[in-house]
Amino acid sequence: MIRRWTTDIILVGPAAIALILFIFLPVLIVFVLAFTDYQFGASSANWVGIENFADLFGSDLGRKAITNTLLYAAIVIPTSVGLGLLVAVGLHSISKTLPRFSNALKAIYFLPVAATLVAMAVSWQMLMHPSLGLFNHWAVALGFSPVEWLTDQNTVLYSLAIIGVWQSVGYNMVLFLAGLTSIPDTLYDAAEVDGAQSGWSRFWLVTWPMLGPTTLFVLIVTAATAFRVFETVATMTRGGPAFASDTIVYALYREGFVYFKAGYASAITVVFFLALLLLTVIQLLVVERRVHYR
Amino acid sequence: MKQLLLSASLALVATAASAETEIRVHYAIPTIWNETQERLAEAFMAAHPDISIVIDGPAEDYADGVQRLLRESVAGTAPDVAYVGLNRWRILEDRGLTQPLDSFLPQDTDAAGYTDALLSLGQFEGQQHALGTSASTMVLYVNPDLVEQAGGSMDDFPTDFDGIIELAAAIDALDDITEGVWIGRHDWRFQSLLGSHGGRPLNEDESDITFDSSAGLQAAALYSRFVTEGGMSSMSQNDARQSFPAGNLGMFFESSSLLNRFEEGSEGNFELVVKRTPVIAEDDVYFPTGGSAIVVLTDDAERQAAAWEYISFVTGPEGQRIIVETTGYAPTNSLVLNDLVEYYEQNPNAIPAHEQVAEHAGPWFAYPGSEGVAVTDLIAAALVNLTDGADVDETINDLAETVRDRLDMN
Repeated sequence: MIRRWTTDIILVGPAAIALILFIFLPVLIVFVLAFTDYQFGASSANWVGIENFADLFGSDLGRKAITNTLLYAAIVIPTSVGLGLLVAVGLHSISKTLPRFSNALKAIYFLPVAATLVAMAVSWQMLMHPSLGLFNHWAVALGFSPVEWLTDQNTVLYSLAIIGVWQSVGYNMVLFLAGLTSIPDTLYDAAEVDGAQSGWSRFWLVTWPMLGPTTLFVLIVTAATAFRVFETVATMTRGGPAFASDTIVYALYREGFVYFKAGYASAITVVFFLALLLLTVIQLLVVERRVHYR
Repeated sequence: MKQLLLSASLALVATAASAETEIRVHYAIPTIWNETQERLAEAFMAAHPDISIVIDGPAEDYADGVQRLLRESVAGTAPDVAYVGLNRWRILEDRGLTQPLDSFLPQDTDAAGYTDALLSLGQFEGQQHALGTSASTMVLYVNPDLVEQAGGSMDDFPTDFDGIIELAAAIDALDDITEGVWIGRHDWRFQSLLGSHGGRPLNEDESDITFDSSAGLQAAALYSRFVTEGGMSSMSQNDARQSFPAGNLGMFFESSSLLNRFEEGSEGNFELVVKRTPVIAEDDVYFPTGGSAIVVLTDDAERQAAAWEYISFVTGPEGQRIIVETTGYAPTNSLVLNDLVEYYEQNPNAIPAHEQVAEHAGPWFAYPGSEGVAVTDLIAAALVNLTDGADVDETINDLAETVRDRLDMN
């Protein structure tokens, strides 16, 4: 008995210690710091209770970061999931008749996922440049007035959302394609026998329900990346102009590493961590129930 | 071959034996400083064979640099000396990381070329914590081709903001793409306009905000006038830095440290001209000085002595000459000015920039306390709102109240 115990400890020990040291302990420290006014590099800190959390939800800046993130997610999640599904269904249906064309398009759609987002952000910045950029040259050529894509308080979040969609459509497409190929042909045959003749009814009665689990997974993954938006903000707008594109994760970075307010940044981290945890729990609960098609 | 190896290993032994003290140096912004730092280290080691300089991998910018220094000092791996932004060394001082330099400074600082104005950039509460290594103030970069096309004249160039706004409107009217004037909506640029009107952001003992004075309101009003009368667009700092050398922007208020970069960028497009920022007030004019300062972080007496050797070299005539010639920054040592005659002949645009530093250099006011950096972003946001059409008096008064609140001044 004792030998089994020691074997267990020897086997589990190293991994467990690493997990505790490098994950649980830092998370615990962050939770503690969230209730202090600790400044990065300072030698001491004071206990401030829930003041940091009150600041996040009570201050204009904190609320703006939260609403910006929610608005961004509200645009990016449905658009990129919808477009991903549309592209996947389209490419799947021509994959038999035009296999080469379909494969080439797949590669093109997947390119943004494989590319480094920070490098791509520089290209987008050039495209969206107000006077030298291609977008405004086209806009002027087509008779529209030029748009301040990234420097107008009212448009900047939408411009970033466009990039967010561009970046995640390819990934969603691949997941949907995998889902589509796993739908057995017999189901379509059966549906046809039962009178589902049009493309739409085949989609609505067979494809869409069969894609249920995939769609849910795609939704959760897209939501997780949308809420975490950071790279494009950090490289293209730095949260500006006038905090119009400030998001939660960028605010976390700004408060912690630009303003050195480690305590406040920890509080943001805690809130963000709990929100993502909630998302994961919902995913687990719902997915458990949604597998009844299989 | 054998001999070569032998002599190589001998040389290695020789350097190892003589280079007894090793000094680690941190710097930021490799796009400006990379070549300069290497030349400084080489020249210093040639003059001081007993000290070897090891340069840390550079930080992307000054904000990133201070962050790294704080991190390294928590971990106990901080470098011995560091180049930091002139407005950021107080973050290090606040945490007790900088070592006072007073005991190292020569008795007669003037004779060593450290003027009182330049020393003041690194002083806090009577102690010298940092020494300026490079200085820049806000100047006006002009594209003379666009000025001529718009009917203006370079010989009769406006010396006040009214004239500049009028000229900007004329350039802006040339076509859809071309813009007249641009200035960053940023704490340092606002302080520059404020100083030109004789105002100050803070009072003497840093207990109250003073940019809501009449000078401050005039300076802030320029932001909205540039937009409403001069047609200034809301592009970003980076966009403007691309637009100007490309020839799409007529006049650009920017740091004099970008002179070399703009001259390279505009080569073949047009011959840029540098003008001084207009001075409106008769007294109390100052321009906040951007650039870098050097601080000592090591607490080991022997390394401090070696670090001071390095500092006195880079802030002395020889080091300053290297810095001026490779970056376009103005020097922070008055002795070097006599050595630069040839440089000025080849770079006439550096003259107005350096004259402005010599005449009006003042500290880049850093807001005190833990919220100091955060309020500069609030100021920038208020300036953005001004250019988006917000009322000047209301915005600046609200801003002053918010800043007082954040800095616990009420």
